[in-house]
This record gives sequence, C-alpha cells and structure tokens, in this order.
Amino acid sequence: MSPASIPGPEQLYDSAPCGLLLADGNGDVLLVNDVLCTWLQCGREELVGRKRFQDLLTVGGRIFWQTHLQPLLRMQASVAEVKLDMMRSGGPPLPVMVNISERPWNERKLLHIAIFVAEDRHKYERELLLQRRRAEELSQQHARDEQQISDARAQAEDRARFAEQLVGMVSHDIRNPLSVIQMSAVLLDRGVSAEQQRQVTGRITRAVRRMQHLIADLLDFSQARLGRGLSIRKRSCDLQQAIADGVAELALAFPESSLRHERVGTAVMEADPDRIVQAVGNLVANAVNHGARGEPITVRSEAVESGFRVSVHNRGKPIAAGLLPRLFEPMVRGAAPGAAQGVGLGLFIVREIARGHGGTVDVHSGEEGTSFEITIPRPHP
Amino acid sequence: MSVLRRNNVMLIGKGPPMLFLHGFGCDQNMWRLLAPHFAETHTCILMDLVGSGKSDLAAYDRQRYDTLHAYAEDVCEVLEEVASAPAICIGHSVSAMIGLLANLRCPDAFLAQVMVGPSPCYINDGDYVGGFERKDIESLLETMESNYLGWSSNMAPAIMGAPEQPELAVELTNSFCRTDPEIAKQFARVTFLSDLRSELPRLHAPTLILQCSDDLIAPRAVGEYMHRQIPNSTLAIIDNVGHCPHLSAPSASATAIERFIAQL
Repeated sequence: MSPASIPGPEQLYDSAPCGLLLADGNGDVLLVNDVLCTWLQCGREELVGRKRFQDLLTVGGRIFWQTHLQPLLRMQASVAEVKLDMMRSGGPPLPVMVNISERPWNERKLLHIAIFVAEDRHKYERELLLQRRRAEELSQQHARDEQQISDARAQAEDRARFAEQLVGMVSHDIRNPLSVIQMSAVLLDRGVSAEQQRQVTGRITRAVRRMQHLIADLLDFSQARLGRGLSIRKRSCDLQQAIADGVAELALAFPESSLRHERVGTAVMEADPDRIVQAVGNLVANAVNHGARGEPITVRSEAVESGFRVSVHNRGKPIAAGLLPRLFEPMVRGAAPGAAQGVGLGLFIVREIARGHGGTVDVHSGEEGTSFEITIPRPHP
Repeated sequence: MSVLRRNNVMLIGKGPPMLFLHGFGCDQNMWRLLAPHFAETHTCILMDLVGSGKSDLAAYDRQRYDTLHAYAEDVCEVLEEVASAPAICIGHSVSAMIGLLANLRCPDAFLAQVMVGPSPCYINDGDYVGGFERKDIESLLETMESNYLGWSSNMAPAIMGAPEQPELAVELTNSFCRTDPEIAKQFARVTFLSDLRSELPRLHAPTLILQCSDDLIAPRAVGEYMHRQIPNSTLAIIDNVGHCPHLSAPSASATAIERFIAQL
C-alpha cells in the first residue's frame, strides 16, 4: 500500500467521525479538530488558547464537571459515556456524549477528549425521563386512590357495624317495655281491683312513654346523621320559664329522685325552647341512671352576658377518663346496669341541640360529681 | 445502628483529632492525598456523609436529609463517638458549611475550622454574588438526571483503564464518587439551594478559609465575603484552577493548613 493511499494523521484527526479536543490539566484547549469546530459553529482560533473545555459547557455541566467529573478523572484517569450539553454560538446547546482520558506528556498531564453528538439519543432519553416521571406520578396517584378506597371501606364497615349494633340495642330496648305491656294485659285479662288496675295502666303508660322517647331519639339521630342536623325552630321565648316547666314535668317522671332547679337572671332570647328542654331532659335522665341514688340532682340555668348557660349536676362515681373524649358520640354507654339506659343517643342529641344553637356542651367529672353544661350564645341582632 | 458504620468512619494516624468532611459529588477518598500527610501528626477521622460513598444508604431518610442540619447532627455524633479531644475540622465545599453548623451545635467538640472552597450561598441575591442563578442549579439537576448511570455504575475504568495509576486499588476505582442517583440529586438541591449567610457571624472558632484563585463553584468574592463575616477568620488563596485544591494542589493546601494550625 503506497503512503498516499490513505489520509495522513492530521487529516484523519480533523475528519474523524467525532469531535476531538486536547486540553491541559486545567482544561485549557490546546487542539481541536474540524468536526468539533463545525458542530460548535466557531473557528479554531476562538477556542485554542482562549477557552477551557469546561467553558464550552452549560452552567449545570460546569458544576458537574468541577464537583464530580474532575475529581473522578484525578482518581481514575478516565471517564466514559458522560452526557453533557455544549454551548454553540447562535444555536441551542448541543447534547453530546463524552469520553475523557488523562495521559501524561512531557511532565504534565493532558486531557484527551472525544465527543459524539447525541441529539437523537438525547430526545429518546428525555422521552424516557418524562415517561418515568409520569409513571412515578401515576404510581403516587394509585397509592392515594388505594388509601382513599381503604378509608372509605373502613368507614363503610364502621357504619355497617354501627347499624347492626343499633338494631340490637333498639330491639332490646323495645322488648322490655313491650313485655311490661304484655304482662299488664295478662293481668288486666284476669280481672283486678280498681286500685290494681290504676297501677297497671300507669305501668303501661310509662312503658309507652319510654318507647315514644326512644323512637323520638332515633328519628332525631337519623336526621342528624344524614347531615341535615336536628331541626331547630327558633323563636323569641323565655328560656328560664321553659326550663322551670320542663323540670317540673321531669320531677313527676322521676318521682324517686330529688330534682332541684336554680335559676339566675332572666333569659328572653331567640331559641328553640322545646329542644332545650329536651336536652335538659336527656341530661336529667342520665343523672338519674348514673348518679348516686338518693343524692340530689341540680339543674342550674343562668342568663350570662354572652348568652345562656344550663347545667345538670349529680353526685356519683366519676366518669372513666378514657370514656370522656367519646362521650358525645352515638351509642356510647356508661357503666350503669342495663335496662335503665337508652340506646346511647342521649348525649349525641344534646350535643346536636347545642350545636344547632351555635353553642357547645362540656362535661366535668370528678370526686365532687359530674356536671354537664350547655352554653349557647345570644344571637347577634 | 452504629454511627461508625452509618458514616463509614475510618481512622488513620495518631495524635490530636482531625476530621475530614468531603463535599458534594464525592466521598472521603477525596482526601487520599491530604489525609496520609496529616496522619503523621494527627488522628485523621474520615467519614462519608449519609447518602455518599460507602455510607449506609438505608440510613438515608429523604425527609431528614432535606436540610444540611441533619448532616451536622451526624458529624457531632461521629465526633462524640471517636474524638478524645476537640477536633480540627477540614470541610470541603458544602461540608465547610456542615462543619460550621456542627460547630454551632456542639462548640466543645471543635478546636478550629478549615474551610476548603466554601460558599454560604451559591445563588446571587441582590448585592451578594454567589456565582449562580437559580436556573443554573436547575440546569445542574438536569445534567445529573441525564447522567443517571454515571452515579450508579462506573464503566470508565473497565473500558478505558487507568494505566498510569497502578497504585489505585481496583475496588476503590470502581466505587469512587458512586451513589444512588436519586440521593445525589436531592443532595445537589439541598447543597446548592442552601443559604447560611446569617450563620457566619455566629462562628467564633479560629477559621481558615482556603480559597482557590480560579474556582467556578466558590468565586473569590465569596471567599472574601466569608472572611468579612466570620469574626475569627483567616483567608488564604491557593493558586489553583478548579474546586478541589486538595486533589490538584495537595502540597500547597497542606502548607496553608499547617501554617494555620501552627498559630492555634
């Protein structure tokens, strides 16, 4: 083969099918080939002796060079397949793949750099990155959806369990008064004296009242539970008088208990007196069931500057601390023995009535007894 | 889990303790030219920040390490474990700031701070020249993302070899600066978006700021700014291009550090 039959080293260098660059250890450009000059759209004289290799990179690439690639080169004398973007005059940065090796030459170290255009590869990688990000988002979305589904499922299970328990409690609470009525009917059928008859019909009336009370509670509960809240019909009324009348009726309903009413100030204001009396009634019923037998129960109603306060206090064992936070949730029952209790909706309804008036209900329970206090604000004129 | 295992702590030499903290993008092998020199007179404590080098990657908690303070906490724990006396802390780049935070957190553990190419804030802000704009940092993150493989694998030596460095153990060559790409990205964000300028005046330990004459990451203006802000500081300029004088100008770096230590 004659020497002219293939190109000489310089021609080979200049027309190599990749960009070639030689730099000193600091990156100062010593030599570039034609191909790289063409890619970067600049003359050789603009590069050699004027620029450093890292100056030709985007800022991100320069930081990457200084913090990662340069130490890597010092350590292992070569890096390969590094993806960088090179700046070019009058055009967007050029994505390239770069191989670099550091080789000693006459007492110093030179960087031999080979550069390959990677535009299509760059597009493909960007697409991959986008898809990966998309996949990550979808998987996060998926995790959120699953969480939502499992939350909803837990809620539905709670409700189902709750409904089952409610059916059980209601059946139990209706069976007792019904058996009272049935036994009374048997007694009446046998024929009794006028005195006994009055006792028997009294028992029937009380059993019916218990069932009516229970049914009213259930209706209120389902109304509140469906998110509509209890129906509250406010009108201008004398709350003190309404409570006094209510306490008088409660005294008849619970003849064995000693019920006291303390009233402070007058309170003519916008409220639903029937609902307030209902709430006081629920609290008194609880006090009768859970309080110490024979100890007085005190209803205290008080007009205050900001509105109106009514509390029911009884003596007896304190409520267990663990129970306090859930006390106003439906179907939470205290420790009192069975039949005397309701379905566990009483306090829930008290809270709904207080809320319906824009107010609150609080409980304090300790050695001195238990006290529930409803506070309702005076509506703004 | 042991702190020593977590941070891949290595001890070499004998004498008063000297702690070396590597910067962003690498690991404790950055100190391979400097640490053996100081090991003749000091106990050199080398460690990898969690997420870098051979630290325990399982200890990397994305939420915890979302701030440099977590790294400073780790540094205090390491010193508590291994240092018998207050240490001279040599921190490179972001780790100069981690050293500063650790010094503020547990001042009794430190004798002095040597900051190699430090910057309290990389992003320009009003009159303050950090050297970068926010979009530059975005561009870095993009570059890192497209070099995903560069962090997790290292094909270079296998393909091209490191013929002139026979002293390098193959194992070292294959692991240097290698970590989980996602961690590297988060560390880049935490590093380059940090702003600790307000902490500088609080550092009262004797401090040497080792500034390179030509450093893109920490321009001279930043070194001068730090010198003005840190009460008990000395500024030394090393003639060096780049951000790693301990690799490219090890003897000049060692001399500057020794001169500083002699005055302590």
